[in-house]
Amino acid sequence: MAKIELSNISHSYNPNETNPIYALNPFSMTWENGKRYAILGPSGCGKTTMLNIVSGLVKPTKGKILFDDIEVTNLITEQRNIAQVFQFPVIYNTMTVYDNLAFPLKCRNFSKDKIEERVNSVSDTLKLSSFLNSPARKLTADQKQLISLGRGLVREDVAGVLMDEPLTVIDPDLKFRLRRSLKEINEQYKTTLVYVTHDQNEAMTFADNIIVMDQGEIVQVGLPKDLFERPKTTFVGYFIGSPAMNLFETEIASSNEVNIGSIKIKTNTDLSKVKNKNVKLGIRSEFIDIADNQSTNTVKVKINRIEDFGNFKLLTSTLENKMIKSKIDREKPISEGEVNLYIPPEKCCVYVDEKLI
Amino acid sequence: MNKFYIILKYSFITLWTVFIVAPFLWAVSTSFKDFQSVNSKVTYIPWLDFEPTLEGWKVLIKSPARGGVDIVEPYFNSIFVTCTASLISIVLGTLAAYALSRFTFKVGFVRNNDITFFFISQRIMPPIVLSIPFFIFLSTIGLLDSLIGLVVVYIVLLMPIAVWIMVDFFNRVPKELDETALIDGCNPYQAFYKVVLPNSIPGLIVAGMFCIIFGWIDFFFAFILTFTEVQLLPVKVVALNSSITPWWSLSASALVSVAPLIIVAFVVERYLSKGNLSGALK
Repeated sequence: MAKIELSNISHSYNPNETNPIYALNPFSMTWENGKRYAILGPSGCGKTTMLNIVSGLVKPTKGKILFDDIEVTNLITEQRNIAQVFQFPVIYNTMTVYDNLAFPLKCRNFSKDKIEERVNSVSDTLKLSSFLNSPARKLTADQKQLISLGRGLVREDVAGVLMDEPLTVIDPDLKFRLRRSLKEINEQYKTTLVYVTHDQNEAMTFADNIIVMDQGEIVQVGLPKDLFERPKTTFVGYFIGSPAMNLFETEIASSNEVNIGSIKIKTNTDLSKVKNKNVKLGIRSEFIDIADNQSTNTVKVKINRIEDFGNFKLLTSTLENKMIKSKIDREKPISEGEVNLYIPPEKCCVYVDEKLI
Repeated sequence: MNKFYIILKYSFITLWTVFIVAPFLWAVSTSFKDFQSVNSKVTYIPWLDFEPTLEGWKVLIKSPARGGVDIVEPYFNSIFVTCTASLISIVLGTLAAYALSRFTFKVGFVRNNDITFFFISQRIMPPIVLSIPFFIFLSTIGLLDSLIGLVVVYIVLLMPIAVWIMVDFFNRVPKELDETALIDGCNPYQAFYKVVLPNSIPGLIVAGMFCIIFGWIDFFFAFILTFTEVQLLPVKVVALNSSITPWWSLSASALVSVAPLIIVAFVVERYLSKGNLSGALK
């Protein structure tokens, strides 16, 4: 277990060309010892590159990596003592399940007793005990992925376990149990876990801290609550949450009000210094509610459709020719045609040039 | 339509089987005949049409001094040259193929694919093109008419086959397998021989089979690069054909020449039919 520090890291796969394209733009970040992190972002945003840089499979074009304040940038993968699990199961076909799990320990010359103890412990956690003597190639895809995961968890002294969308091939029920197991392992052994995913629910339920990436940039790092309530960019607002955050192009009306068309919306943000024209208002559908009568920040909207999701109703309506979505308590009656919606000022996020102010 | 297709398929397979098996049956039958049974009239069935004799087989192990042709020494020469050259070709070819599959080479305009093609191109040109350079080369280093000289030449001929097959095989082995081995604590060499190589056994067997076949059946270089000291089996078999062709011993020697390849084919077929060639790492 170690504190992992990435200092001014950037990476390009074609650094020697005249116009190199950077898969990762310069960033610095620290992963604290024993914490759980999720890296969240769309495909091709640089998540896997970041993991490969930490594990040593890719050498960064610029910057330094430190494990517990010791620089490891130039160390090869085998010397870093790090575990990585890939998206698809990678198993040693010619070995049994036991030998697969024992392999990382054998490579590092652990004693036979220690190997047996660790393999038995990990195979119990991952429900692989009954397959230990079977050839690994005969197992199903999700069992094979458990072996990959097991090889990552079998070393107690590992600096961190990096997982690159490891539960993609695993069925939903087992996925849920495994995420819980991973959390338990993290709490028990204080292993630093870094989990790459493009599934926000997976990230939200797994991690202490979420790192949101887009196009090689780290756009926000924070607690799931912060990411949800105060997304730092419109991308995070759009990417996190289902449905995505409601975003409206607005104009500044006063020091704390914006106009959506002819409607004034009050916010808790100080807008007195904003000169820019590109201003957007963001509000989560979860925070919008039906209002019984007109008051401040109440808007009259035309209902387009109501979808019943069982635990809530999703109301899609039109506000000044723009779509607005709100999650309404399913027991609450909704009148037909038009309805008043209340937009709480304290939950409004104002974005200037796509960034939160 | 479907029935017609099945009939057509089985007819073709039957015809092809007859085409392949008939010469063998002819050789087996002829190897047990004597001069009279071959030359007097057409004979098919042993004990009815002709009296079987082991004379055709016996001469193969008799020394020329006692009226035999003695193919034992050329047989072991062929085994030595083919096996040694195949083994060295597989070792060197596998290493070259792994490098070509996993690392990027860039020398001027030459890239990995060009290097792979360069290896294969050795087999594209007609062997006659290589015969004079090889002759001069072996004669310069004093290895003409020697087993070691033949091994050297056969390595040049067989390594492209090994490289060609193994590059394709390694390309189908996911790079994540090597990376996982590195993460698990192997150095790059250990990752290769502890993880990648055991997963590549089917590819190695196929490459080995092709090397053995092409090495075993070569007549051309065995013929032009050897004279009196060393003789390989194909040259010896062809040399049996004199003014009066001894069909019986020629058939027997042809059968013993083909025997090792048939054994190789049976062994390899077991690996091929297991479907292990697919890489199947995911």
